[in-house]
Amino acid sequence: MSATPVLRVSALTKRFRGVTALDQVYLDVYAGQIVALIGPSGCGKSTLLRCLTWLEQPDDGFIEVAGKPLGRELMPGGVVRRHSRRQIDALRPRIGIVFQQFHLWPHMTALENVVRAQTVVLGRSRAEATRRGVELLTRLGLADRMDRHPDALSGGQKQRVAIARALAMDPALMLFDEPTSALDPELVGEVLTVLRSLAGIGMTMLVVTHEIGFAASLADRIAFMDHGRILEEGPARDIMAAPKEPRLRSFLDLVRTDHRITRTTANPTE
Amino acid sequence: MHFDPAVLVDYWPLLLQGAWLTLQVSAAAFVMGYVVGIAIALIALVPGWVPRLVTGLYVETLRNIPFIIILFVVYYGLPFSGIRLPAVLVGTAALALFASAYYAEIVRAAILALPRGQFESARAIGMSPMSAMRHVVAPQILRTLVPPSTNMTLTMMKESAVLSSITVPELTYQSLVVQGNTFAPFEVFAAVASIYWLIAVVIAEASRRLERRVGTAQAGASGRNRIADRYLSLVARRT
Amino acid sequence: MGFKLDYLLSILPRLIAAAAVNIRLAIVIMLLALVLGTALTIVRAQKIASVNALIAVIISFVRGTPLLIQIFIAYYVLPAVGLDLSPEVAGISAIAFNSMVFVSESMRGGLATIEAGQIEASTALGLPPHAIWLKVVLPQLFRRIVPVLINEATIVVKGTALLSVITVVDVLRTAQQMASASYRPFETMIGSALVFLVINLVISLSGRVAEARFAAARV
Repeated sequence: MSATPVLRVSALTKRFRGVTALDQVYLDVYAGQIVALIGPSGCGKSTLLRCLTWLEQPDDGFIEVAGKPLGRELMPGGVVRRHSRRQIDALRPRIGIVFQQFHLWPHMTALENVVRAQTVVLGRSRAEATRRGVELLTRLGLADRMDRHPDALSGGQKQRVAIARALAMDPALMLFDEPTSALDPELVGEVLTVLRSLAGIGMTMLVVTHEIGFAASLADRIAFMDHGRILEEGPARDIMAAPKEPRLRSFLDLVRTDHRITRTTANPTE
Repeated sequence: MHFDPAVLVDYWPLLLQGAWLTLQVSAAAFVMGYVVGIAIALIALVPGWVPRLVTGLYVETLRNIPFIIILFVVYYGLPFSGIRLPAVLVGTAALALFASAYYAEIVRAAILALPRGQFESARAIGMSPMSAMRHVVAPQILRTLVPPSTNMTLTMMKESAVLSSITVPELTYQSLVVQGNTFAPFEVFAAVASIYWLIAVVIAEASRRLERRVGTAQAGASGRNRIADRYLSLVARRT
Repeated sequence: MGFKLDYLLSILPRLIAAAAVNIRLAIVIMLLALVLGTALTIVRAQKIASVNALIAVIISFVRGTPLLIQIFIAYYVLPAVGLDLSPEVAGISAIAFNSMVFVSESMRGGLATIEAGQIEASTALGLPPHAIWLKVVLPQLFRRIVPVLINEATIVVKGTALLSVITVVDVLRTAQQMASASYRPFETMIGSALVFLVINLVISLSGRVAEARFAAARV
């Protein structure tokens, strides 16, 4: 691919009190791609997402979103320039993130959650922000729930409001932190539908998930992370069918074994 | 022993003047004290050990020393810096200083009780810290702030009686004046105690109305921290 | 004239000696408040409507009026009713009365956290009411309200400073006397502030140590 990637992560490193959470992470995500980030717990997936929105400050490495550097910039001459808080805040709307717990603002209605973000951060007029908010929420199937407060919404509905809130900012890319884990297992299919519809409009997405099946169904590419490094990355089908990295192979085997167990117990005659 | 309210007839205006000054001083000290308290709370939340240490010293010092001594320290200390103010202003400033330590802890506890994700989601979307505080944090902590703040404000109002020691003509000072003139301590202090009690009732009622407008901490917010709630009601309980 | 540190250091011994008065008074007051507060709580637990109504009024009065006014009432009004008390005794009575109410209120709060099942089980086992109180309820109650009581102790210590206003010679009054002789009121006030700061910090810290011990002993 010759176009500039929507997200380019180079040599990203993050340490927490001696523990290296991210160890020289390299990742490129191109426009319209859905990349699933999988790996065992503690591998650094969530840390990576948090660094991508600068909720954590990486110790080393660079992030570029739609060609623009985030937080740290490599100047000609090898000097690393740190961005001011204002510069970082200016770029943040372009990186949409949907948290595992959604973190909707409970004192506002669903619509207001989407509107307030636009008026305060992007300076849109209330009328314009409301128009876009209504449109987004309607498209996500929440036309009749817009005036409800988050505590009156189901988990799946809350997630869609969180998605709408991030989408309203016109992001270049959407990040998802474990989109299925806060919801009942039966709803995984619904999440898949919502995310596929986003992909359908050409949104670039990076999805952190521990559900391999979900990742395999949704993603174009899968990246496997372990101990803060991306060990293998490639087209979803190839990764699932023929993983090269031994640790990835054992990881996938572990998951496939679990599936075999469920299948066995479902057939008591065996 | 006889109870003769007529003794006070000539002195009611004096007592009411005193009561009015008590109210004014309390209101002014509340506003100033809360502003300073919010500032201290926000400083205490800055990452690093230095801000916490400095604000911790501030709060612990003001909470462990009797207010009457804080008052005297301010009263005798100001002339050192060359500032000469009338007693009533000195007293109000000392009262505000005293209250600010408690308000700071109340605000800090309320902010910490809010899940981190609220602030983070606001920042992740691009809001400045100030905007995040204004649109997301403050509206949510408002309801948790009301009960402990009321408690502290009542305490502060009662503490204003101590201002009589530097001749501020508030209610307690006037009670001593009237008692000195009438030698009817029972009537005087019965009247004065009733006035204080009335002011306390008014403040408590105003707080109840405010709670209804802002919503009690029980309504609305889901996923509240129960442990934080108990801490909040104990923290500001008393001076 | 500027702040003289050496003067402050020179008066500290006298102030610390005077602090013994405050500490002694505080101990007496706390003990009185604990005993009276416990008694008051037991009385309230009997749930006699008229008694509880009267107690409610008293509590409202004590919580709604300044401690200084309560001290003045003990000092000026009681003699008029025939009770001529020394300044110290009047002061102790006023602060103990005030504290008693607070102790009772916190015990009420603490009682609510003790499961009713314990009292039911004890009654079922045949324990008489006073034994239930003494052996089952009170021990648990005190363990739970220790932190609150420690806080109250620091408040009582701070309250004793007010007794200087009714001529009790405590730290503050000593400081004021020294100030009028030396014309250095600021240093004397800072000195008394430091004394109270240390006393209360010691109380709070021992409270935390005691809390840790109680927590370890809690089943």
